[in-house]
Amino acid sequence: MNTHHTFPGIAARAARTDATGSIPPENWQDLKDSGYLRLFHPPHLGGTGADAATQVQAMEALARACSGTYWSATVSALLCAKLISTYGDERHHRLIRPLLTGDRLAAFAIVEPAAGSDPATYRTTVRPTGNGYTVNGEKSRITNAPNADLAVTLARRDKPADDTGPDWCLAFVDLNQPGVRRYDIPHMGLRGMPWGGIVYTDAHIDESDVIPLPFTELAEGMTWGWLLVSIAAVATAESALTASVRHARRRISFGRPLAHMEGVQAQLADSRTHIDAARLLAHRGAAERVAGASARDLIGMLKIYATEMSVQVTARAVQIHGATGVTQGHEVERHYRDAQMNVIGAFATNRLREQIAEHLGLGPAVYRPFDWLTPTGLTHDPVSLDGLTTG
Amino acid sequence: MVFPHHPARPDGASPSAKAAQELADRTQELTHRLARPTTADRDRRRQWDDTLLTALCDPTGPHLAGLLVPQSLGGAGLTATQTCHILDTLGEGSRDPGLGLALTVHTALATVPLRALGTTAQRERYLPRMASGEWLGALSLRQTQSTASPPTITARPAPERPGGWILHGRADLVALGPQAHHFLVIAEHDDTTRTAFVIDRDTPRLHVHSTDQAAMPTCPWATLQLDDCLVLPDAVLGTVRGAATETEPLLATLDWIFTSAPWLGIMRALTHDALAAAGTRTLFGTPLAHGQSTRFALADIATRGELAAGLLHHAAAQFDADGRPSRRDAAAARLFTVTAARAVTQDAARLIGPAAADGDHLVERAHRDALFFASTGGGTDVLHPVIAASLLGSGRP
Ligand SMILES: Cc1cc2nc3c(=O)[nH]c(=O)nc-3n(C[C@H](O)[C@H](O)[C@H](O)COP(=O)(O)OP(=O)(O)OC[C@H]3O[C@@H](n4cnc5c(N)ncnc54)[C@H](O)[C@@H]3O)c2cc1C
Repeated sequence: MNTHHTFPGIAARAARTDATGSIPPENWQDLKDSGYLRLFHPPHLGGTGADAATQVQAMEALARACSGTYWSATVSALLCAKLISTYGDERHHRLIRPLLTGDRLAAFAIVEPAAGSDPATYRTTVRPTGNGYTVNGEKSRITNAPNADLAVTLARRDKPADDTGPDWCLAFVDLNQPGVRRYDIPHMGLRGMPWGGIVYTDAHIDESDVIPLPFTELAEGMTWGWLLVSIAAVATAESALTASVRHARRRISFGRPLAHMEGVQAQLADSRTHIDAARLLAHRGAAERVAGASARDLIGMLKIYATEMSVQVTARAVQIHGATGVTQGHEVERHYRDAQMNVIGAFATNRLREQIAEHLGLGPAVYRPFDWLTPTGLTHDPVSLDGLTTG
Repeated sequence: MVFPHHPARPDGASPSAKAAQELADRTQELTHRLARPTTADRDRRRQWDDTLLTALCDPTGPHLAGLLVPQSLGGAGLTATQTCHILDTLGEGSRDPGLGLALTVHTALATVPLRALGTTAQRERYLPRMASGEWLGALSLRQTQSTASPPTITARPAPERPGGWILHGRADLVALGPQAHHFLVIAEHDDTTRTAFVIDRDTPRLHVHSTDQAAMPTCPWATLQLDDCLVLPDAVLGTVRGAATETEPLLATLDWIFTSAPWLGIMRALTHDALAAAGTRTLFGTPLAHGQSTRFALADIATRGELAAGLLHHAAAQFDADGRPSRRDAAAARLFTVTAARAVTQDAARLIGPAAADGDHLVERAHRDALFFASTGGGTDVLHPVIAASLLGSGRP
């Protein structure tokens, strides 16, 4: 499959999508027509149940065409729909189907205005009202927040003393209601992707749409998110490499194309190798996960490697392009900005390293007191050559 | 959990998958029992152990000498991917990069060209005895990158023997040389075309000088000297003057893929050691395992191993599919594995700390040998342009 020709219209509009910071309606029409949104789910949910390789290829193709569009569409149709199908039941199929037809859009709202990596800072709470539930709190830096119809929301449960169930829940919140306010956050890369906050003030949730959940399930559900982001990173890197190869062949310097320079070749070769490594791991992780295994650690490793690799590859691409690469509106300038977003989105990579380390048998993260140096004596400067002289 | 996802197991659907897994299990058992306990000592004494080799090559045991020889010729008939998996197991079990290299040179680099390009007579003469380990094949690691390094052996027609050749020159870095029964040699003609030969050790005027290599001392090393050796037409491998498109590209790809495979296992062994050290060493009054520099390094070590395995298995699998394996993918797999091996060794050395009092000092051997590994197969100076050429469209025949 020649991936970057799969979404020609979306690719042609990518620069404009980035410049205007919004996804044009034609992109959504193309997505609906292409069947992309249905690939990830079985027919009884309205999907087409593609195999893992096809899913990854299609994801990479869309991400190469336009990373902002890819993020928005895939967070909704893959990540959110998987969360609903995994943790919900038949009653929630009504929520999934419109996500796969593209008639509605979903967001996954976990992070709040404080430190996103630390769930202890999450305050949003769901309370029973007698007629369902209400939710209060603020979610921030959420993909699709400004325009989504539905938010799969992670919240604390306000529960009676005798309720021994989990402290957390996933709530499927209808965002088109009076208790919901949204805002945009301007952002560096993935500019077409809608991104911002959701403020809940006594927003209503139906009884059946609150699913109590142990917190550990969050990483399990997020694994689809890590896969999604990793493939975005691979695609951005591949686009940056393609642009670099094109430029290196055309640009004449010292009487020869840049491509004749050994140093440039070495950069291209490193990029090629690192992208291949990440893509192969993505295919392996996806194959395991689509087959029903968790693959959480494998995909966690992938997220760390692929997103940081993509930053390196896009930086090399900018370097190979010289000033052209830092010119606003040039393709690699966009990839450079997009790549960094993937490192942070869906668990920043250093936070994920902690998780991988824990699963390697090193035990949970230990946060020691700030000053571990003073007790060792390494905070003293030495005496002078003449010993303890004054002055 | 260490490496939750062991490198892709041999394809479960293939009929030989079960047999391959059995060989891997036997390799693991035997290397743990026989190789690993003596590795540090053999390394210190630069010693080659024939009994160990016999046990590893035993067709009723791991059958390591015959992995890639077809069953009809007495081999195990494994696929390239399965072979990678077993060489990986050998590396992890023996913790001996030199032993891994020696066996790989025989099992893959010396065997596959005969299998792929040999005449029926050559295949029938060499392969069954190579598969049993009775005859070992060797070659110079300088001859695996076509003519990136200048050719050092010449061939000219033998004046009195039609079809015969006179070979002259020297080749160093002959892995397994002192133990070999025969050598795969590439020689250059006047017009710079080249022919591959398989030359038996007892060929008159062929000399094998044992040498000491600073790295990988458990692999026996030699320099091969040919003083106007007469070789007969049946020593030619493939087409006369055809090495540039036959044996040479095959050797490059075999080197890049298969000599990398034991390093997957070495990296896994280093990870085990580093994890153990992180649990026992203390710094600032807490176990090393509490520090984020330790935790992050271990997460990265584990990740590099998975990525390298993915690339190597992908490149090897192309030998198993129809069509021609890709030199670019093989070179990329080598480039990544080399970089990973060096980085993993470096991180492991930091975590294990200076002068560990106990253990078998794998990290010290790996440090020395990873540098050597990085310079073979042409090193980055060869790998980078090979990979870049495929992107830039240069070098198309
Ligand atoms: C493109 C994009 C899309 C996003 N989409 C969503 C979404 O749809 N839904 C949603 O809920 N959130 C979303 N986010 C928010 C994202 O999940 C958070 O930004 C992320 O989890 C990190 O939180 P933070 O930004 O507050 O950084 P912090 O938590 O303040 O972390 C800052 C830095 O400290 C490091 N750090 C944090 N903890 C540790 C630790 N234990 N050890 C070592 N280092 C650590 C991190 O690596 C990071 O580099 C998105 C973010 C981006 C960039």
